[in-house]
Amino acid sequence: MLLPKFDFHEPTSLGEACEIMATYGAKAKVIAGGTDLMVNMKKKILAPEHLVCLGRIDSMHAIEEKNGQVVIGGRYTVAELTVDSLVEKKLSALRSGARALGSPLVRNRATIAGNIGSARPAADLPPSLIAYGATAVLQSSKGEREVALNEFFKGPGFTEIDVNEILTEVRVPIPGDGQGAGYINLGVRKAQDCNVVNVASFIALDEKDGRIKQARIVMGSVGPTPLRAKSAEAVLIGEKPDEALFLKAGEAARQDCTPIDDFRGAASYRKAMVGILTKRTLEIAHRVAAGA
Amino acid sequence: MKRLITLTVNDREVEIAVEPNMTLTDLIRYELGLTGTKKGCETGDCGACTVIMDGLPVNSCLVLAVQANGRTIETIEGLETGAGLHPVQDAFVEHGAIQCGFCSPGMILSAKHLLDKNPRPDEGEIRAAISGNLCRCTGYQKIIDAIKSV
Repeated sequence: MLLPKFDFHEPTSLGEACEIMATYGAKAKVIAGGTDLMVNMKKKILAPEHLVCLGRIDSMHAIEEKNGQVVIGGRYTVAELTVDSLVEKKLSALRSGARALGSPLVRNRATIAGNIGSARPAADLPPSLIAYGATAVLQSSKGEREVALNEFFKGPGFTEIDVNEILTEVRVPIPGDGQGAGYINLGVRKAQDCNVVNVASFIALDEKDGRIKQARIVMGSVGPTPLRAKSAEAVLIGEKPDEALFLKAGEAARQDCTPIDDFRGAASYRKAMVGILTKRTLEIAHRVAAGA
Repeated sequence: MKRLITLTVNDREVEIAVEPNMTLTDLIRYELGLTGTKKGCETGDCGACTVIMDGLPVNSCLVLAVQANGRTIETIEGLETGAGLHPVQDAFVEHGAIQCGFCSPGMILSAKHLLDKNPRPDEGEIRAAISGNLCRCTGYQKIIDAIKSV
């Protein structure tokens, strides 16, 4: 397969990258791991005239705990997310998503910013990130802005990212005591599979009476973007967490999704699985919240 | 317009001018003549194009040659030394883990990378490590047996 021709830019700083994007904007695409973009270019779905490689920008490759958040550089790879100790200890649902993504070969190149920016409805990282209440930092030559991932996705392949912006950082609030999240993805195979359904759940328990005071349930692969299961969340608020409650929430989540029939599964199957995965991820979230 | 890049391939330094839209797979196969690295799906799904770049196995079909500038690449050709085949290659031969051989270079490199990090992997770890390399011939069992035996 041949790639279309393009001009290649390799800035060594974020400032330089922003300047290039400001100049070429709509005719440019950023590239880091390329595990999504290269496929699109080979299939002639995309043919940007300019590619801006972020591979030499070290500031985008860090991870640190800061102000009660885990701050992850956009270029941090999915493989690195699977083994990072901060992610393992504090963001276990994100780790589950990272471990499920693609294959070991893809994970060595794929980046967190890429999995968000490519905005595939079945992507493995956005559900847990949204469940954790994460935000994305977008930089351009005009400055920077922070957008909640909950409001980030507009449609398959479409996000808040403007043509001359770069997603440089993801900020994930660290769950405190009595808070936890879980992620499960369902596919036909254990690797290299497009998810049929994936769900992430987050709950926060009240310190005094142990009731659920906050809940976020995010469903992937059942709509054009990751979707919040609002009626399922409403079922949980103010209640004591137990299996029966989670089952009820799972039932409610089925109404909140809009899956399609495709060769991977029927819409009815996906709806049913949303119910199951909601219950199971709530159980994981509860275990983490109780254990913390 | 071509760009001059320098990279290390199987311990040899290579300096070459490449078009930006050349993939690392094409650089390795057509410019360097190292045809052990194969082109299967060319979209990162089959692993036939696996090489080890800066110590990590990757799909070379998804890496631009210009992105490999300054990096260290190991291909399947780099495993054999004057002393003979690499232990992983030997094990594959001994266990009948090679039929048509098309997946083998990528499979062996993924296996080598696993064993370098984890000399005694269990079956689950082996299967996970090679989950990016597809084989249509063997059904994987003999490949797993070969890797276990090293």
